[in-house]
Amino acid sequence: MIFALVVCVGIYVLTTWLGPKKPSNVKLSTYECGVDPEGNARIPFPAKFYLIAVLFLLFDVEAVFFFPWAIIYKGSLAQGGHLFWAMLIYLAFMVLALIYVYRKDCLRMK
Amino acid sequence: MDWSVILIATAKIVVIYGALLSSIPILTWAERRGAAFIQDRPGPNRVGPFGLFQPMADFVKFLWKEDPIPLNVNKLLYVMGPFLTLIPASLTIAAIPVAESAVIFGREIPLQIADLNVGILYILSIGSLGIYGILFGGWASNNKFSLLGAMRSSSQMISYEIPLALSAAGAVLVFGSFSLREMVQMQDGTVLGFLPAWGICLQPLGFLIFLVASFAETNRIPFDLPEAEAELVAGYHTEYGSMKFATFFMAEYMNMVTISALMVVLFLGGWHLPWVSDAFLLDKLGSVNGLALVQALVFLAKVGFLVCFYIWIRWTLPRFRYDQLMRLAWSNLLPLSLFNLVATAFVMYLGSLS
Repeated sequence: MIFALVVCVGIYVLTTWLGPKKPSNVKLSTYECGVDPEGNARIPFPAKFYLIAVLFLLFDVEAVFFFPWAIIYKGSLAQGGHLFWAMLIYLAFMVLALIYVYRKDCLRMK
Repeated sequence: MDWSVILIATAKIVVIYGALLSSIPILTWAERRGAAFIQDRPGPNRVGPFGLFQPMADFVKFLWKEDPIPLNVNKLLYVMGPFLTLIPASLTIAAIPVAESAVIFGREIPLQIADLNVGILYILSIGSLGIYGILFGGWASNNKFSLLGAMRSSSQMISYEIPLALSAAGAVLVFGSFSLREMVQMQDGTVLGFLPAWGICLQPLGFLIFLVASFAETNRIPFDLPEAEAELVAGYHTEYGSMKFATFFMAEYMNMVTISALMVVLFLGGWHLPWVSDAFLLDKLGSVNGLALVQALVFLAKVGFLVCFYIWIRWTLPRFRYDQLMRLAWSNLLPLSLFNLVATAFVMYLGSLS
């Protein structure tokens, strides 16, 4: 990690040190295809992005729960398959949630 | 503290990280030459033999260019953006096992920077930190194109992370371990008598999902919506110049190499040759170091093949539309990866009954 940091900082320092410095107003203004920038750049964007982020949080947390299950599953098979059925119940809830989200049209971008 | 331990660790870091860093110019060269080959034009061919020194020239040019910080940007976040994409990209390689141990001066050295017992979780979690860099960079640039690119990129990456994690969970399920080294060791030998016991044979669907999701995670065509140059100029790095711009590209190529390496470890048998067991190789070669060398070469060849596959795909397929991309992630890949998990668990359950 330290090594990675050193490489990162190193190339930054090198480029600011070596590069020419001729700032001008035009060069430092916001790029908008050569036209003078118009309005605020923090434009409103579709709320769907926010929704996707929230859904990601939910489903990723659910996905994380699969990992501890996955690692003990192989060993637990020797004592019968109760973990398989337990996971199936959990999965049913997850699929229900997915169907709900899908029916509510949350994932359609247009 | 034993100094030799630190020395060995440093040497491993320098060699593996150096290999990763030097793979970037080779990859950019391969990308451009491959593109030229597919499009039936010569490509970069002036600097050095076959244009091999072109990336070096590009690097020097990047270094010597002016590095302007535009007036309207949020300076701290603007500078942090490329940092935060490059550092996670460099860190993930640490958990990838390249080969089994080498013995030098009577000391057994596993050829892996850090043999973590939660290797796969480490890679998935550190890898997803790269989103912050892109989001910071895009937001701080104070540019409409950057903002849109960053929003697209982040929502695409988080959407595809779920199928990626779930298909990796399938591999964890089969091998019963988080440690990448143990996973590779379990892929020695054959299943059903004729197939190599690789993850791809045990988890064919999981491999496909992982492949598709990894394309999206690394922002490659056909999923390079964030920097769709026809719509968004250059996406989240529109306002970046000089080395900061190059940093984003380095991070992209590093991610590509790391995720290919992860794919090799999980699904393509790591350092194993198909139908050739380690014990047999060791017997033939007669030394542990020779075995380690062969393993490392096999591993490199597999990673190289996957990376070439990436380049091939990039210049073959057109770009998705954004709603298609999201639909693919949420309504196709996510249910498929859940099905893959259930099917795998069910087959294992049946296997335990008989």
